[in-house]
Amino acid sequence: MGQGSSQFSEEELQDYQDLTYFTKKEVLKAHQKFKALAPEKVGHNRNAKLPMSKIMSCTELRVNPFNDRICKVFSSSRDGDCTFEDFLDMMSVFSEAAPLTVKAEYAFRIFDFDGDDMLGVEDLQQVIERLTGPQHLSDVDTKQLIQNLLEEADLDDDGSLSYAEFEHIISKSPDFTSTFRIRL
Amino acid sequence: MSGSGGADRKSKKGNRAQVWEEAGGEFYQESYPGATTSTSNENADTADAAAHRDAAAHLATMLPSKQAQHTMGKATTRRSRNEGKQSTRKRTGNRSRFNTVRRESNINDVHVSVLPDFAVENIPNEERTWEEIMQIKAMPVNMAQKRELKAKLKSATKLRLQGFEQLKWQRRKFWQRCKSNWKEFYTKLELWQGSLKTIEGNFGIGVVSYFLFVKWLMFLNIIIFALTFFLIVLPSAILEPGQLGQCDPAAEDENNTSIACCADKYQEYTSSNNNFFYDLVQGTGWMEKTLLFYGYYTNDIYTLNKEYKLFYDLPFAYLVTALLYFLVSLIAIVKSAARGFRERIIEGEGQFYQYCNLIFGGWDFCIDKLKGAENKHKAIYNEIKGCLEAERLETEKQNRSKKEKCQLLFSRSMVNTGIIVLLLVSMVTIYLVFTLSRSLLREYQKAEKHFLLFFEFMPSLMIVSLNLLLPLLFSFLVTFERYSPIVVVRITLLRTIFLRLSSLGVLGASIYRLVSCDRKNGCNCEEEVPLCWETYVGQQFYKLAVTNALTGIAVTFFVNFPRAMLAKHFENCRFLKFIGEQQFELPNHVLDVVYSQTLCWIGSFYSPLLPAFAVIHCFLTFYVKKFACLINSRPPSQVYRTSRSNYMFMAVLLISFVAAAIAVGYSLAEVKPSRACGPFKGDEPVWNTVKLSFAKLPSWIQGFAFFLGTAGFTMPTIVILLLALYYYNAVTAANRQMVLVLRRQLVLEGHDKQFLLSRLSTIIKQQQQERLKNAIPPPPSEFDTLLPPPPPEVMNSS
Repeated sequence: MGQGSSQFSEEELQDYQDLTYFTKKEVLKAHQKFKALAPEKVGHNRNAKLPMSKIMSCTELRVNPFNDRICKVFSSSRDGDCTFEDFLDMMSVFSEAAPLTVKAEYAFRIFDFDGDDMLGVEDLQQVIERLTGPQHLSDVDTKQLIQNLLEEADLDDDGSLSYAEFEHIISKSPDFTSTFRIRL
Repeated sequence: MSGSGGADRKSKKGNRAQVWEEAGGEFYQESYPGATTSTSNENADTADAAAHRDAAAHLATMLPSKQAQHTMGKATTRRSRNEGKQSTRKRTGNRSRFNTVRRESNINDVHVSVLPDFAVENIPNEERTWEEIMQIKAMPVNMAQKRELKAKLKSATKLRLQGFEQLKWQRRKFWQRCKSNWKEFYTKLELWQGSLKTIEGNFGIGVVSYFLFVKWLMFLNIIIFALTFFLIVLPSAILEPGQLGQCDPAAEDENNTSIACCADKYQEYTSSNNNFFYDLVQGTGWMEKTLLFYGYYTNDIYTLNKEYKLFYDLPFAYLVTALLYFLVSLIAIVKSAARGFRERIIEGEGQFYQYCNLIFGGWDFCIDKLKGAENKHKAIYNEIKGCLEAERLETEKQNRSKKEKCQLLFSRSMVNTGIIVLLLVSMVTIYLVFTLSRSLLREYQKAEKHFLLFFEFMPSLMIVSLNLLLPLLFSFLVTFERYSPIVVVRITLLRTIFLRLSSLGVLGASIYRLVSCDRKNGCNCEEEVPLCWETYVGQQFYKLAVTNALTGIAVTFFVNFPRAMLAKHFENCRFLKFIGEQQFELPNHVLDVVYSQTLCWIGSFYSPLLPAFAVIHCFLTFYVKKFACLINSRPPSQVYRTSRSNYMFMAVLLISFVAAAIAVGYSLAEVKPSRACGPFKGDEPVWNTVKLSFAKLPSWIQGFAFFLGTAGFTMPTIVILLLALYYYNAVTAANRQMVLVLRRQLVLEGHDKQFLLSRLSTIIKQQQQERLKNAIPPPPSEFDTLLPPPPPEVMNSS
């Protein structure tokens, strides 16, 4: 712990505390986790950029079916490689203190596989595929499921979910806040 | 739940059909290009139709609503600046909620919007700037940009606050810092964080909610224990007992013994020689004279300070403590339940987005073990299949033939009758065992100590074994009723609750029958009736609690653990696998915990130190259940939704609480306390103490209390409450109707938009084709930018 705090100045820690949903201790804890992924590289430059494969190998993201999407969304260079600040952002959004709006915003980006600002039928298909993992739903079932989803959520009947519709259903889904959370 | 979702969906479909009719169907159906494109979709996908769709999509990206999504900061920072004058603290919280405008990172916009506006009214003061800095974390941009924003805001010109404003702001900052320090401190202290994380990593949030429930119960028990300890036990232990009246044998006759003599008789009885260990386990002998049981406490009014005339009325305190701990438990349960209840009813507005909740809230992001992830995938797959299956079952149910319905009704009524018969049999058994044990104890008073021990524990053992065995029968019988899985869980849970509460009720009723008789003379009814029946009740509950706890631990370690080991090591043998494999069934474990809590609630009146035992039991239960969860069981194959689980826990707890409160309340109000011991020695029910103390209060309070009870007060209150209820009901119905109307309007607007976009792209295409035909160089027109460049085939054809 003493080593960690010597790497960051008080002002930087205060900055991180103001700009994320973490306290100073949690920021240092996140840095420890980040350092554990590549101790040498991070030891040289505490804001080093780690490749996507390294980030996806950390314990929290290892078995997550959306881990590559998460890395891509939070990476500042949009290619999946994350610096420590990106990692901190990621963990801050997934923390318990982050409000629903912030989580919904990032969840939308994570689920938007083709990046067109709408959750279309292909996006939903991909989400379902990733969720069910090695078991595959039959085509008929997938179609039925997507149809049910769109019936529930697509308010203006244009065949895909815009952000406003997504945020609306997220606010009505009681399980989202408890599941969209990673504890450090 | 699926039923209502289905019904809603069908009504939505019906509403859409109505929409067509309402909007003047002919016009739409003729000229809505969506129709033409859909027909062309059915035929081969011609390049024309594809280009048409592409054009419309390209146009759609230029809509103002889509453009607004791509600018950052303009909406927020500028808006927050202009609101600076009037915004109060409350608005800062709501501001982020109104920002449904999405922001993409565009750093130039940041620069532009954050440049200070030099009009005097718009220069923000320190407090505004500080608030804005606090809001940066809600912005969906990366850290580097957030830092730049913060630096810009900090270095911008701002007014200093003067005087009182300065103080208020400093106080806010200080309070904020205190809160974050407290949060840091609290997370360090949090109990069992490591265990919870392990369970979370393996099983997900649903199972963790059970362990959080156990933790919550433990803290509730600590509060109850603190109440009883400081209000009853400590004063009794510390303060000097008053002088008890002397028993004058000469003045008494056979038929009328005074309280003092009864008390003496009781003291003799408890001093009889008995083995230390047996007394410890049964709660008799020397244990009866300890603080553990009701019998120790006297009905003295302790004098704290002679000069200031301070008294500590122990009977009153005893009663008030009982009322207090019931009240505290009730408030805690209602608060906890209301949170979940509110979320379910109000925010759902009667419609629960089942599939969206399943897909978007489906994956537990906290799972970090491979096995856990595999199980989660399977569980989600099963749940999706289950939901789709339930939907199909709904339609099938409506198509069931009459014969099948009759058969189902018959089998269901048979099963229900069978279960009622089972419950009655078990209740009679418990009563018989209770009377048998008393008669055996009487007969064999001189027998070996361990026989006596066995006879003493017979009722408790009977109850606990019935609690173990009957639920297995229930889950076997429920398969014949062919309910859907959710209903199966609920019905089994209800039946098991009923079983457990009825067994407790029978125990209480047998004791009541034993104890309540006409005490014509003497200290107790007949020879066999215990002198101090409250202590007797306390002992029974003490024995039951101990048996319950020990059986739980024994079953987990000595029965289920070998079973799990068998299943793990002999994977090929199907029979062993069948006996050995267990699942971590949440409802049963919830019932275990709630049962011990019920025992604590009822028993605490007769045994004030029982909450301490409950605290220890909760603490041990956490570890025992953790063992059962991680090592004995396979992960649950169904997804436990946190929201649904919390609701179930609180509902079960509330039912048990009501039962406990009724039991204790009845004994307070109706049953005569014993004459030989306890704070309520005498012939009047305990409630009379309250009446006496109430009579001592000043007359205006009494008058006020009586007024509250008269018809002149209650009738108007009831009428006003009914009116308010009706009003809120009407408002809710109107809101629901409004939601329907607005949804229809949204759908209409969406169709309008698609229609207009299609028309626009058709018109532009026509214009382009005409221009190409006439070979006129195209005038610079704004429409050029609206369409993508025409594909090469169009040029060749002309």
